Amino acid sequence: MSEPGASAGVDRAAFTCGQCGAGLSFAGVRTQTCPYCASPNVVERPPAAHQPEPGLIVAFAGDAELARRQIARWLGSRTWFADARIKHARVEDLRGVYVPAYLYSAVAHTDYSASIGEHYTETETYEATDAQGKSETKTRSVTRTEYRPLVGRHVGYITDVLVSASTGLDHADLQAIEPYNYLHLRRYSPAVVAGWIAEEFSRDPDDCRRASRREAIDDIGMRLRRYMPGDSHSDLTWRTRVGWESLDPILVPIWVLAIRYRADRPLLRVVINGQTGAIAGKVPLAWWKIAIAAIVAAAMIAGVIFALARGEPPP
Amino acid sequence: MTACTRCETALEAGDLRCAICALPVPSGPRTGGADAAAPVARVLRCTDCGAAVAFVAQARAPRCGFCGQTMAIEQPVDPIEEARQRVPFTVDRPAAEAAMRGWLAARGWFAPRALSREAVLESLTPLSWAAWRVNATAQVSWTADSDAGAGRSAWAPHAGETELAFRDILVPASRGLIEAECRALIPHYTLAPAVPVAPAGSPSGIAGAPGTSDAVAPGGMPEGMPGMIERFDAQRSAARAYVQNCIAIVARVRVERYIPGRRFRNVRVSCLIARQTTERIALPVWVLAYRYRGAPYRAIVHGQRPAVVLGRSPLDWTKISALVGIALVIAAIIVLIALTK
Repeated sequence: MSEPGASAGVDRAAFTCGQCGAGLSFAGVRTQTCPYCASPNVVERPPAAHQPEPGLIVAFAGDAELARRQIARWLGSRTWFADARIKHARVEDLRGVYVPAYLYSAVAHTDYSASIGEHYTETETYEATDAQGKSETKTRSVTRTEYRPLVGRHVGYITDVLVSASTGLDHADLQAIEPYNYLHLRRYSPAVVAGWIAEEFSRDPDDCRRASRREAIDDIGMRLRRYMPGDSHSDLTWRTRVGWESLDPILVPIWVLAIRYRADRPLLRVVINGQTGAIAGKVPLAWWKIAIAAIVAAAMIAGVIFALARGEPPP
Repeated sequence: MTACTRCETALEAGDLRCAICALPVPSGPRTGGADAAAPVARVLRCTDCGAAVAFVAQARAPRCGFCGQTMAIEQPVDPIEEARQRVPFTVDRPAAEAAMRGWLAARGWFAPRALSREAVLESLTPLSWAAWRVNATAQVSWTADSDAGAGRSAWAPHAGETELAFRDILVPASRGLIEAECRALIPHYTLAPAVPVAPAGSPSGIAGAPGTSDAVAPGGMPEGMPGMIERFDAQRSAARAYVQNCIAIVARVRVERYIPGRRFRNVRVSCLIARQTTERIALPVWVLAYRYRGAPYRAIVHGQRPAVVLGRSPLDWTKISALVGIALVIAAIIVLIALTK
């Protein structure tokens, strides 16, 4: 199916094209298209501590044309407050990139304590004044909360925590387009990345492990809030010990594109999930629209207050 | 069959990760890869014309831009599952028909009096419906409110942890029967007589292929004939998530015995499932279609216990109208008496 090209030179990022022998630089990426013969080259190198071999990959589910249609629909559906020129913006530099990431899973044992609120109803008496100005004693039913301490243990698996291992795409950007559907995972093969940009792992695995743990512990917190009994709870604190940790190198697909909507403004960067089509990007707002809306709202409120002050019904 | 090193759940061919704890399955040694000392740049070549090829997202495979040849690569394995075991029928056709007649005759006061006599049996089909048979153990942590230790409120919070073993939990995977029907049938099955399903096209004549049907002998059915073996309703990946959900539902019921007190609410569980095995099994029922005064109805007779019959039957609206009328008259009399006092 494939045959080896030239071996690595002195620089570990410099290789020769497997088709025509031209020199290729693979700085930061594991794929490169030869500028002379357009052959898609894929680097295969032995895994190192800071440059692991991806074991799993989520493949692209559509081509660049589909991504352009998704972005056009997204731009067209922006809020009224967005800069109007964004709807007619030009998409520049659309690239499909396999981003390196780590998929974290572990077993979590959590000790927690919380104050659990249990509602109960009481009948209380109160003094009221009737229409004739006479004071009378009445009763009413009120709901009160009794707080009881609860200490316990929670066990569970933590799965599918994804953290970016790319210096080009930070974790928040990746989180904005998650989740990926891991039911369609594949085992990594150079054949799946051939012809696409596949970035090399460029973040320290230990940093990624720490980031994964933080996200996992946040996730445990969300689970615990749903797990608490009672009608309400407060003072929830927990301490999680993770064991059986697994940090697995994976490549996930994204489309990265730059949008030029005004000549005097920087390009707007948008990231699209290459599998599900989820889009994340900060759309610039038109401040004059926001100012007009604020003035109109303030004028309406002032009109209502003025009408009430004069004792007339508002128009 | 290998097992996950973290949770000891059985792994199946094609699994990339454990279905329970998501631990990746180690791959075998790669062939044709870079050796330890020599990184290389490779070009993927078309097996037909030798041109360089690239992965095409729509084809989900590498495709040659010159000759259009699509290259086969390892694809994710996510098959529609098939039953590997079936529980034989012990209720034959005459017994199923008799069970249905008995059920129609005992439909209660709201059913038409002539139902049993005038119902016309249209079809009586043996069906082996699809289910998963799950075994697992789980460390279950739970929280709940109960009346034990209650103070001013009627409820007090409790928490605990326990080990539970799940043996022969049946999880419905049927397309033809609704979930409520499956759940009503499940407690009445005896799984001990289960036998392996022969593969499709085997000389035994026992259908293994989904959707195939065996001929049913007129007047009865040889013991253990599988009838139609139903196709599973979900792919393997979706099935596993559903099975895990069902284990959590069963666990929520099973932990009730560990909660102090007599009354409880807000029972919540978190399961650390281990050693899960899942078998696909087909369970026997007779599906009956009958017609009463032109309208079609369906009933289901358990394939092992003829006393278990489920289904819909017509109502006698004359009787219901008369009852509602009487109730209204009684209510009016009570109101009248109350007003005259």
